[in-house]
Amino acid sequence: MSIVKKPSKTSNWYLPGILSGMGFTFKTMIKNIFNRDKMPTLNYPEQKYNYSSRFKGNHVLTVKKDGSLRCTACMLCATACPADCIKITASEHEDPTVEKYPINYEIDILRCVFCGYCEEACPVDAVRMGPEWQTPGLCGSDFNYDIQHLAYRPSLKGGALSRVDEEERHKSGI
Amino acid sequence: MPKCNINGKEIEVKEGTRLIDAFKEAGEDIAHYCYHPGLSVAGCCRLCMVEIEGNPRLQIACNTTVQDGMSVSNESPAVKDAVKWGLDFHLINHPLDCPICDQAGECELQIQYMKFGKYDSEMAEPKVKKHKVVDLGPKIVLDTERCILCSRCVRFTDEVSKTHELGIFNRGDRSEIGTHENKPLDNNYAINTVDICPVGALTSKDFRFRQRVWYLKNSETICNGCSTGCSVKTYYNEEGLFRVKPVHNEDVNGYWMCDFGRDIYKYANKEVRIQNPELNSEDITIDQAITEFESRLKSIDKSKTAVVVTGQQTVEEYESFLGYLKENSINQVYHWINNPDSFEDFDGLLIRGDKNPNTKGLLEVMDKNGFNKPWSELTSKLESNEIEHIIVVAPENVEMYPDMDEKVQMFSKAKQLTWLGTVKNDNINDLKIPMKSFVEKSGTFVNYEGRRQNFKKVTVIVKNAICLTDMVSYLKNKTLEIDNSPEHYKRKMNYFTQVRGGL
Ligand code: SF4
Ligand code: SF4
Ligand code: SF4
Ligand code: SF4
Ligand code: FES
Repeated sequence: MSIVKKPSKTSNWYLPGILSGMGFTFKTMIKNIFNRDKMPTLNYPEQKYNYSSRFKGNHVLTVKKDGSLRCTACMLCATACPADCIKITASEHEDPTVEKYPINYEIDILRCVFCGYCEEACPVDAVRMGPEWQTPGLCGSDFNYDIQHLAYRPSLKGGALSRVDEEERHKSGI
Repeated sequence: MPKCNINGKEIEVKEGTRLIDAFKEAGEDIAHYCYHPGLSVAGCCRLCMVEIEGNPRLQIACNTTVQDGMSVSNESPAVKDAVKWGLDFHLINHPLDCPICDQAGECELQIQYMKFGKYDSEMAEPKVKKHKVVDLGPKIVLDTERCILCSRCVRFTDEVSKTHELGIFNRGDRSEIGTHENKPLDNNYAINTVDICPVGALTSKDFRFRQRVWYLKNSETICNGCSTGCSVKTYYNEEGLFRVKPVHNEDVNGYWMCDFGRDIYKYANKEVRIQNPELNSEDITIDQAITEFESRLKSIDKSKTAVVVTGQQTVEEYESFLGYLKENSINQVYHWINNPDSFEDFDGLLIRGDKNPNTKGLLEVMDKNGFNKPWSELTSKLESNEIEHIIVVAPENVEMYPDMDEKVQMFSKAKQLTWLGTVKNDNINDLKIPMKSFVEKSGTFVNYEGRRQNFKKVTVIVKNAICLTDMVSYLKNKTLEIDNSPEHYKRKMNYFTQVRGGL
């Protein structure tokens, strides 16, 4: 079945539509000129919009009180990741209370779909998704975030501290 | 032969069979930690509880022999409850280590908890802390907190390796597995304790933290570490091979394998392998390499061509290659034995002095073709420059050939050297053709007692590698069909993504 729609008579009367549209545009323009504070657009990039801290943006690896990584290299995030973009190399730590830690942790942010599964899978609150959402880069390798970027980039000011603390947990017999 | 009824299935078993084995024979699942078919019965984990008809109390299946007419079940709520709370006891002081525990994914505690446990812990007391990351010796690390004291490892060192290194020290909830002072756990079979440990208490230093087990696929093959030819399982993924474990084979290795055999994966991995055919250190294609090889065969006098073989390839390869040599009347074939002095050694359990998996097979094929020249002839001919072209079918297991460099120097006396090998060797810069390692081909090994064992290809590691059979079929028919299915080279697919479906 094919439906052929003939142009209706009224569609020839396009002028009223255009005029009412232009009217709206000019009304808004004048409103914005006299009422700049309420203008919804921003002068990006001089002005930036900050999302709430719950926004699932770029990943952050949290750190312990002494500034070392919290991640235990359990690979649960890499296992849960549907985009397969987390790459971790685990290693033995000299400190027997730490045992296992990542010597390499990379997220290929261009593959990432920002689903947040990694954050949910992590048993020790080591990977989080932060409110940062801008991901500029000049070449492909700029989008492969390593430990240095994920945990210690300047915007994190020395690293994001997690609330979970092993020592306390250890002392309370968990 | 007593008959019994296991969960409603009538089966007949041998006299003196343990109930737990009868369950396995009947194909019924039964929880257990301490029982291991290759060891004596300890009966200490209390997890294999069963209900025997006419018996008011639950009993353990591992320490009960089957009687005629027994009717046994482990499906009743009473049994399930007993297992559940037995498990609760095991887990009272168990640390929450799964994320950093190498056993996670193949841990019996996890498996049984998901089957029978699923309770909320009712313990209010803090957990007893014990020693972590205890260095037991050069190969093994112990975590006493994770240990459930099943005593399998202790029984192994007492009964199988008979080295008695391990013991249980202290009492009650402070009991720990440990070694005596200055007596580290270091015997040739030590890593078997890691395999039989149902939890992550014993971990092998070699495999520790290298991969999570759920990223590994596995496939059975035959160990090429010595002429015993143990049945083994290799664990691998697209990055290569990661570990080797024994597979039960009553006729050859029982439940065990030696620690040398666990290293066989190392010389099959990419890092050490010849990747491309090379001529005078320049990469060439496989076609060019075989053509060059053929022209050498044709242009050089047959009496000035020698072939060196080791017992490391499969029977099928020997048959086609040695058969080809015979057809082309090349008769100077020599068998390279690396360790003539210790060739006949045997340690009484598994390890044999002959470090080649297929010496018997090679000798059979050599006999069939009438090749029986002594090694000394080759040495003297090389000395007197009577050999112009030497073809070496090099061993894969180079660690077992400590005299490699010496021998290579000797071979280099010939004008032209064709090296058919798997492992890189920088001392050679003539014609090198990459060969398939034992995990990349199917075939047959004949072990020390003449047992023919077939094995299948596990995976592909070096794309360009060929085996002797491939080469001979190229020489004969001019077609090369390398079986290196590309499936392995695809991008790694996350297992869970496969199951759940990607986004
Ligand atoms: S947000 Fe999703 S896609 Fe991105 S790294 Fe985490 S799990 Fe992978
Ligand atoms: S970030 Fe968390 S889930 Fe990922 S490896 Fe580290 S500890 Fe495990
Ligand atoms: S032994 Fe099993 S249950 Fe215990 S920490 Fe290791 S994986 Fe988890
Ligand atoms: S270390 Fe492993 S095998 Fe040995 S007693 Fe403990 S749980 Fe059993
Ligand atoms: S398996 Fe029977 S008590 Fe442990």
